[in-house]
Amino acid sequence: MSDTLAHGLGYFGRFGVTEELLRAAFDRAMSTGADWAELFFQHKISHHLGLEDGAVNRAFGSVTLGLGVRVIKGDQTGYAYTEDLSRSAVCDAAATAAVIADGTARSGPVAFNVRPLPDRYPEREPWAEVGVERKMPILSRLNALAFERSADIIKVRVGFADSTGAVWVVDSDGRASFDHQPMAQISMSCTAERGKKRESNAANLAGREGFEFFTDQRISKLADDAVARTLFLFDASPAPAGALPVVLAAGSSGILLHEAIGHGMEADFNRKGISVYSDKLNQSIASADVTIVDDGTELGARGSINVDDEGVEGQRTVLVEQGVLRTYMHDRISAQHYGVAPTGNGRRESFRHPPLPRMRNTYMLPGPCDPEEIIRSVKRGVYAASFTNGQVMIGAGDFTFYIKTGYLIEDGRLTQPIKDTNIIGNGPECLRKTDMVGNDFQFDDGGWTCGKDGQSVPVSLGMPTVRVAEITVGGVNT
Amino acid sequence: MSGEPNTLLAAAHAGAAQARRHGADAAKVVVSRSRGVDLEWRDGRLERVQERTQRSLSAELFVNGRYSASSTNDLRPEALEAFFADAVAMTRFLEPDPHRCLPDPSLYAGRASVDLDALDPTYDAVSSAERRTRVAELEALIRERNPELPIISVSTEISETRSQSARVHTNGFEGAREGTSFVLGGQVTVKDADGRRPMGWDYSVRRHRADLGSAESIARTAGARAAAQLGSGKLPTGRYTVVLENRAVPRLLGAFLGPLHGPALQQKQSLWEGKLGEAIASPLLTIFDEPHRVRGLGSALWDGDGFATHRRPLIEGGVLSTYLIDHYYGLKMGVAPTGGDTHNLAWSLGNRDYEGLIADVGEGLLIDRFLGGNSNGTSGEFSFGCGGRVIRDGRLAEPVAEINLSGNLAEIWNQLKAVGNDPDPESGSSCPTCVFEGVQLSGH
Repeated sequence: MSDTLAHGLGYFGRFGVTEELLRAAFDRAMSTGADWAELFFQHKISHHLGLEDGAVNRAFGSVTLGLGVRVIKGDQTGYAYTEDLSRSAVCDAAATAAVIADGTARSGPVAFNVRPLPDRYPEREPWAEVGVERKMPILSRLNALAFERSADIIKVRVGFADSTGAVWVVDSDGRASFDHQPMAQISMSCTAERGKKRESNAANLAGREGFEFFTDQRISKLADDAVARTLFLFDASPAPAGALPVVLAAGSSGILLHEAIGHGMEADFNRKGISVYSDKLNQSIASADVTIVDDGTELGARGSINVDDEGVEGQRTVLVEQGVLRTYMHDRISAQHYGVAPTGNGRRESFRHPPLPRMRNTYMLPGPCDPEEIIRSVKRGVYAASFTNGQVMIGAGDFTFYIKTGYLIEDGRLTQPIKDTNIIGNGPECLRKTDMVGNDFQFDDGGWTCGKDGQSVPVSLGMPTVRVAEITVGGVNT
Repeated sequence: MSGEPNTLLAAAHAGAAQARRHGADAAKVVVSRSRGVDLEWRDGRLERVQERTQRSLSAELFVNGRYSASSTNDLRPEALEAFFADAVAMTRFLEPDPHRCLPDPSLYAGRASVDLDALDPTYDAVSSAERRTRVAELEALIRERNPELPIISVSTEISETRSQSARVHTNGFEGAREGTSFVLGGQVTVKDADGRRPMGWDYSVRRHRADLGSAESIARTAGARAAAQLGSGKLPTGRYTVVLENRAVPRLLGAFLGPLHGPALQQKQSLWEGKLGEAIASPLLTIFDEPHRVRGLGSALWDGDGFATHRRPLIEGGVLSTYLIDHYYGLKMGVAPTGGDTHNLAWSLGNRDYEGLIADVGEGLLIDRFLGGNSNGTSGEFSFGCGGRVIRDGRLAEPVAEINLSGNLAEIWNQLKAVGNDPDPESGSSCPTCVFEGVQLSGH
C-alpha cells in the first residue's frame, strides 16, 4: 500500500473508512458502465473569532465531514453525497450517482497508486495546535492600533478566521491524492467621524498558512490600510460619469482579469459554446504586452493548490501569451472533450458539489511601462486604487468591478480623491483597449472569494499598473 | 426521510441537555435535515443529476457570561460529545459580553396559529423519470416557441428540496418546521452578430409543485429576454426616467433596507440613524413585512431569537416605521428589540401594469437587470452596473448595455414616481415594477 493511500486511510480511518469500503463504493459507482468514477472525502474544521466594541467576545466554529461520489459518462455527470460514512450510506450514494449511466458494469480500480504532491503551503504552526487564547491578542492589537492611528476612528470590528481541510480524492483508475489545506484570514472594518460626517471602510488579508501568517508587519500594515482607506473617504467625491480612460493600480486590480477574461476562459462555458471567448483560441485578443496566467503554484497564496479537487496536480497555466489566447482552464470533463491534458483547475467548494473549471491565482505579468509614465499619459480620467467586488455575464462578456477608492487624473496628475464607483465594460473590448502595461507587478494578498454555480472557492489576483483607454465609469455628473 | 419533526425536536432537546452537561449555562440548539435532487438538461441530454442529503446540529452557547456559536454535521455520539466539550472550552477563553443571554421567555409568546402550508405532501409523488421528461420537454418548448432566435445552447433545470428543522432554547422555547421548495427554470444562449453570446433566462420557484409557473411561460419569457439583448448598443450619459422591472427591484431595495439592521446602526454604519418616523422615501413607497403568507417563500412563525413574528410596516407612505433590531443588538443599544429579520414583503401597489408604466413614461430607459456594483450603507452612495432597453414614444425600443446607475440611497427612493401592479410572484420580496425620475446613468 502506498504512503498516500495509507495517509488517507489513516486520516479517514477514524471515521470508519477502509480499503474494503473504497472497493465496495467503486463497485456500485461503476455498476452502470461509467467511464470513470471518483470519491472525494473531506473533513474541515473552521474557526472564526470576532472583536466588536473593544472585546473579543464571540467565537464561531464548524465541523464538516462528508463524501462526494461522482460518476462520469462522456460529458454527463452523476453526483451524490453523504455526510454519513457508514457502509450502507456510502454505497447508496455511489449507486445514486451511477444512475447517470445505463450500461453494463465495469470494474473498479485494481490497485491504488499515488504520485507525491508538492508542498505549496507548509504550515509551520498548524491550526490544530493553536488555541483561541493565542489568537485573541491579534484582534485586540488591531483594535488598539486603529484607535492609535487616528482620533477620528469611532468603531472597529475585526474578524479572524482559520481553517484546516483534509481532502482525499480516489478515482476508479486507482489514483489517490491526500492533501491538507490550511487557510488564514483576517478582516478589519473601521468607522470614523468628522463633524456630522461618517465614513466606513475595510481591509483584509488571507493566505494558505498556519498561525505564522500573522507577523507583526502584516498586522501593522492591515491596521494602517484599514484606517487610511476609511479616512480617505472624507475628502473623496463621486467619480464623474461616462466613458473615460482608467488607470488601474498594481495589485488588487487583477479583479479586472478575473471578471473580464478569467470566467470566460473556464472551459465548461466554452465546451457548451456559451462564452464570449468560445471561438477565440489561438487568436490575438490583446496587445503583445499582455500575458495572463492562472497559477496554483504560488507559495502560501490563497488560491494555491497542491492538487485540485479531482486529483490533478495544481499548476501554472498561461491563458494569454503576448496577447494570444493559448488555452482554457480545464477540469477532467472539459479536457477530455477538447482532447487536452487537464490544467488542474477542477475545484469545488466542498464534498457537496461536483468540481468545475475554476480560477486559482490569476494575474498579468509585468510589461514595459513606467507606472508614472502611464499616469502622465492621461489627460482626464480615473485612477482606480482599491476594489471590493466584481461580476460578469459569461456569454455577453459584460463585466463590472467596484472601485472603493481612487483619484481623478487631470493633465497627467492624480488630483481629486473619488470613491464608491462601479466600472462596467465588455471583456474582449476592454482587453483590446488595455494599451499600457506597467513594470511594477504586485501580487494581492486579500481574501478574495469567487462564486460560480452557487459554489465559493478561495482565489487570489495580481496585476501591474495598466491603462485601459476607455471604459464606462459609473459616477455622478453635477 | 429519516427523522420526522418530533425526532428532530428530541435531538435538539438532547443537544441542549448535552450543552448544559458540558458546562453551558444556557443554549440555543437547532437540528436540521434536508434532502433534494437537481437535474440539469442541456441540448438534448442530461448534463448532470445530483442528489443531496444534509444534516447538521448548530448550538449557540452561553458560558459564564461568554458566547459562541458552532455547528457540525458529524453526528456520531462520540463526535457530538467532543463537539460540545470543545465548544464550551473555547467559549471560556473569550472576553465576557454582558449583552449575550437568552431572551426573556415572555418574548416568545404570541406565536400565530397559522398553517403556512410550507410542505407539499406530494413531494415524493414524482419519479426521477418524470423529472427527466419535464426538463427535456421544457428544452423542446423553448426551441419551439423561439424559432427565430440564433440559438447556441438551451439548458433547463429542476431542483427540489425537502427540509426540516427543530429549534430548542434551554429556557423554554421550542419549535419545529418542515417545508419543500421546487424550482423549474430554463436559459437560452444566442449568438449575436458581433460575436457576443447573450443569455436569457426565466424560472419559477414555489413551496408547492402544483403552484409552479407554466413551462409555456418560462419558454416564452427566457426566449424574449435573450432576443431583447441582441444588437445591444450603448447609452449616452445623462439623467433619465427609469422603469425598473420587478425582478430587478430587489437589488436597489436590498441596498436601501440593509442599513436598517441592528449591527449597522449600533456600529454607526447606517445612514438611517435617527430617521425613525421620518420620511426617507417617496410617499408612494409602502412596504410591510408579511411573515405569515400561506405558502410564502420567506414565511416563518418565529425568528432566530425565538420571537413570534407578526405583520408590520417597514416603510409607510415613505416614512420609516421600524428598524430591524434583534435581541442582542437591542440590549447593546438599550432599545426594545423589533426582530432582526424580514420575511415576505407586501407592497402598496399602483394601478398600472408593466406596459402601462412604459407607456406613461414615454421617453426613458427600462432597466431589466443589474450586474455587479455595490453600495455604502454609511454614506448612502451606490453604483450598480445594469442593462435594458430604451423607451421611446411609450414603447420599448433598442437594447442597451454597459450602463452604470449611481446615486445616493437617501435620494433615489425619493425619486420614485410610480409603482406598478405586478408584484414578482417568483420572489418573497414581491417587488412590483417601479419608476424613478432623474436617475444618473453613465454610458458612452
